[in-house]
Amino acid sequence: MKIKRILIANRGEIAVRIIKTARKMNIETVAVRTSVEPNAMFLSHADVVYDNTEDISEIPVFLNIEKLIEIALKTKSDAVHPGYGFLAENAYFAQKCIDNKIIFIGPSPDAIYKMGNKTIARKIALAAGIPMAMGSEGNIGNEEEAVSIAEKIGYPVIIKAASGGGGRGMRIVRKSDEMEKMFIIASKEAEKAFNDPSVFIEKYIENPKHIEFQILGDTKGRIIHLGERECSIQRKHQKLLEEAPSVALDDNLRGIMGNIAVQIASAVNYYSAGTVEFLLDSDKNFYFMEMNTRIQVEHPVTEIITGIDLIEQQILIAKGEALKFRQEDIKLNGWAIECRINAEDVQSGFAPDPGKIEKLSMPSDPCVRIDTGVQAGSSIVPSYDSMIAKLIVSGQDRKDALRNCKMALDKVWIKGTKTTLPFFRMLVRNPKFIDGNFTTAFIEKDLDKYYSSSDYEEMLAAWLATKLFIEENLMDNSINIDFKKGKEMSPWLLNKRINQF
Amino acid sequence: MSYNKSSIKKLYALSSENKRYCFSQPLKHSIRIGKREYEVKLKSDEKYGSYILWKNRKYPVEVIRSRQNKYEILFNDISYTFTVETPFSMQRMKVLSSGRGKAEKEFLKAPMPGKIIDVLVREGSNVLRGEPLVILEAMKMQNEIQSPVNGQVVKVLAKPDTNVMKDDILVEIKVE
Repeated sequence: MKIKRILIANRGEIAVRIIKTARKMNIETVAVRTSVEPNAMFLSHADVVYDNTEDISEIPVFLNIEKLIEIALKTKSDAVHPGYGFLAENAYFAQKCIDNKIIFIGPSPDAIYKMGNKTIARKIALAAGIPMAMGSEGNIGNEEEAVSIAEKIGYPVIIKAASGGGGRGMRIVRKSDEMEKMFIIASKEAEKAFNDPSVFIEKYIENPKHIEFQILGDTKGRIIHLGERECSIQRKHQKLLEEAPSVALDDNLRGIMGNIAVQIASAVNYYSAGTVEFLLDSDKNFYFMEMNTRIQVEHPVTEIITGIDLIEQQILIAKGEALKFRQEDIKLNGWAIECRINAEDVQSGFAPDPGKIEKLSMPSDPCVRIDTGVQAGSSIVPSYDSMIAKLIVSGQDRKDALRNCKMALDKVWIKGTKTTLPFFRMLVRNPKFIDGNFTTAFIEKDLDKYYSSSDYEEMLAAWLATKLFIEENLMDNSINIDFKKGKEMSPWLLNKRINQF
Repeated sequence: MSYNKSSIKKLYALSSENKRYCFSQPLKHSIRIGKREYEVKLKSDEKYGSYILWKNRKYPVEVIRSRQNKYEILFNDISYTFTVETPFSMQRMKVLSSGRGKAEKEFLKAPMPGKIIDVLVREGSNVLRGEPLVILEAMKMQNEIQSPVNGQVVKVLAKPDTNVMKDDILVEIKVE
């Protein structure tokens, strides 16, 4: 099969990322212009831009299956890359592409469906003898059943939505008298969020590490793994920092877990790139959690330590080519860390802070890779996620990568919105983090503050506040201010003001 | 309010945690640390916008809000709030605060535009600092808006399934 032109059914940094690889492979790309962000950066990278700004429906075009198929056909795209999020794990979309003779760059609809439904995935894993947390065999019918199963497993337990994933639709229950209530809440939430009220119950693993394995499989039946990613630094199940490899794994455990990840993928005849997620407890017991049937946000850390372009592999596999390497060819080299720089206010509990990016300057260094979909002048819009850029830093080992990361973080310059930068600057200086001694509970339990600032930084800020006060009130030419009425100054005005001084 | 501008020799910047920074007026463009004076420069250019130059390093700065003598400054991506006081206003503050205890009201405001998903308290509820009062959905994330103080709810303005703007008052609390 040939691929000459790919429709990118996505936006932002992942659209830019896919286009870069497509260009390298001499494949044309089509991007979709929307009315929400008509001047988005990814559009300027694509060979063809399909104008969809007339479409003012509430549902983003990237979720509109019929429309995307129509665009693919109109633009004569022979393949579609879904990126992550949106329709990336929608079996119906994958099937629709195939029905219309468009190559879906991803796994089979069957694999997406089976792994996307957590109850089915659990059954498959169970049948394949994969280690899992104890749990219900299928969905839970009613409160009584929920209580009796939880009693059998032992508290704490976690209620999960069968159609959930990515950390959504989960409830932890610690005591039996909460069980009934939580079961009803979880089921209602699942119905609302995923159109499917089914939930199941699992033993809740306390303070685990989140370890996931990158999988690559071709349509000829060969499946290999590309090592693990450590994604324990997360808040409310949203990952903030990922690294590869993980301090928690040695070669032996990596081999065991990797083989099991390959087994799970084999059970659904998986092809394309995929990720098998595990929880690893403090005794190094590991439990299969779920499989993500798409390219992940954090894929670059794996690319750095393996030297393999995962998007390129996805495209080659979609074309029907066989994998060019075997498991023993995969060598992990060095260390990579990814920081998700989001437009969020760490001082207000990571509340999103959408807005226009006024200035943007990123470090340029051989050990730094930046994946971004914005530039100075771009806006972070409330309708989409809050990502500004992924800062990916490499080093010979973890210590080296951390040192490079610390320096790179100090060179990132973003103005216009608040960002998660203060969080990362604090994190890379945290002794427990530096020692690799952290679990998924780290942010909630081990940190009392999500940022840190030195006394002199506060003093310099105080100096600036005082300077502004003087300019406004005490200079001969300053406007006399009526302190009773007060006055408002619009944000981000300082620039203009300084030039007046 | 009026005062003789030239008679002010000192200014105080008080942080939200009541840390006090004293500066001379006119303001010196250097800050003393130990025995050394370090130069502070406020600059601006096309590439970086405004920044403070200190010990050979550029720090991004922005004024996020300024109201009366209250300033919210973003310095190196961290926000700080100061009130700048003259010796005269400092004195007045001391007199005021030594008076009766403050039976103040706290207005819980929406930190960002979004949709109210749930209101977890009613008028008359006693609330503790850190207790979630309102669930606000913004950018596909549900955010718990927590009580900043211990107190009693006097008024609930937030209604489920309605949209709010940034800084809309959600709940009024009588501080205990």
